[in-house]
Amino acid sequence: MINIVQTYWSMLLRSMGQTLLLCLLSLIFAMIIGFIFALMNVGRNRFFNLVGTVYVDAVRGVPLIVLAYFIYFGLPSGIKAMGIQNFRLSALSAGTIALSMNCGAYMAEIIRAGIESVDRGQMEASRSLGLNYNKSMRLVVLPQAIRTMIPSIINQFIITLKDTSILSVIGFPELTNMGKTISGNTFKSLQTWAIVGIMYMIVIVTLSKVAKRIERRANRGR
Amino acid sequence: MEDKKVMVHVQNLKKNFGKLEVLKDISIDIQEGEVVVLLGPSGSGKSTFLRCLNQLEEATSGTIIIDGHNVTDKHTDINKVRENIGMVFQHFNLFAHKTVLQNITMAPIELKKMTKDEAREEGMRLLKRVGMHEKADIYPSQISGGQKQRVAIARSLAMKPDIMLFDEPTSALDPEMVGEVLAVMKELAAEGMTMVVVTHEIGFAREVADRVVFMDDGYIVEQGTPQDLILHPREARTIDFLNKVL
Repeated sequence: MINIVQTYWSMLLRSMGQTLLLCLLSLIFAMIIGFIFALMNVGRNRFFNLVGTVYVDAVRGVPLIVLAYFIYFGLPSGIKAMGIQNFRLSALSAGTIALSMNCGAYMAEIIRAGIESVDRGQMEASRSLGLNYNKSMRLVVLPQAIRTMIPSIINQFIITLKDTSILSVIGFPELTNMGKTISGNTFKSLQTWAIVGIMYMIVIVTLSKVAKRIERRANRGR
Repeated sequence: MEDKKVMVHVQNLKKNFGKLEVLKDISIDIQEGEVVVLLGPSGSGKSTFLRCLNQLEEATSGTIIIDGHNVTDKHTDINKVRENIGMVFQHFNLFAHKTVLQNITMAPIELKKMTKDEAREEGMRLLKRVGMHEKADIYPSQISGGQKQRVAIARSLAMKPDIMLFDEPTSALDPEMVGEVLAVMKELAAEGMTMVVVTHEIGFAREVADRVVFMDDGYIVEQGTPQDLILHPREARTIDFLNKVL
């Protein structure tokens, strides 16, 4: 085990970096996607409601691994069939898109539930003072919704971090993929996967501890 | 009595929730400075009527004109009209994430009615008026129901409304806190504010109202001065209701 760490530590760390990069990019886009579709879903516009529902249902109804294959292999071949030759999608781009879409759908549901957990009277009071819908949402509803959403969002962050491992199937050099390479080279499966597992665990446990602190701080002024 | 301007003009107002007809045919005029109390059993449509006035509920049909603005017209900027219609809710609806003072200053600042300093000054003045200036910097969760409602009234007043709507403002309060809220409302009435009040406080109606309106089943059944309506009701439904609550 120590041998493996000694030989491969820099590659392991680099692939962990790739994992974190993929996760971070996906989370940023997922937050944006989540907010957009959640706001579509809570509004009163029937068309937007439909778009929001279809997106969430479609993405949640497809396994992430299928979504990843679809975007990495399916999309470029489809575009090629349409006559555009030079279209390429890197594993990082495809992975980020797949993961953002997936995480974004769950995020949309978390944000929608958060918004709906805020008493309707808050919106009504704000509207009755003459503030329009958008201002009321931004100044009154969302600040309160975000507090209740924090635990679920953090939970989703952790799930997404773990889901990056699924993207090893499209050849993105993240940690799990590196694990495959190392165990293939050394024939030491047990040790390799133990090391990889521990690395995930360290990062995730650290993140959840930090998250707990943020959660406590957000709840303080209540 | 000299001719006063009509502040609220409602004609043939109807409101359905799906198939349920809540308001069937309401017409009423309210003068500037008038205090109108709406009485009626629960489900009679009085809260819905009040919420139609500032279009928190969209009218199904009919016309509502507030201070010259037709709020039932789709082209009216309802947000602009709402700035002049204060509303006080049964459950206070103070903004939980803002301090007492911020609750009051948010709308005037956001709607560019006042600068931050002006809003704070005005906010403190209003809080003093409702006896809450010492609680300016704490959060709504730390004050009592009666105090919350007084802050809510101050919040509405900060927009300098021409009319105030009260939707059962004391119904969610412990009995010993009702008085402090009614006292603030009485003061407002004495200063000449136009008020429409949905309440079960018959005593308040008798003492403060210029006119009492009895509603039942989506209609205005009977209206008149408190003397007439409360002491000498004519309609059977009014008599029946008053017997139950008095």
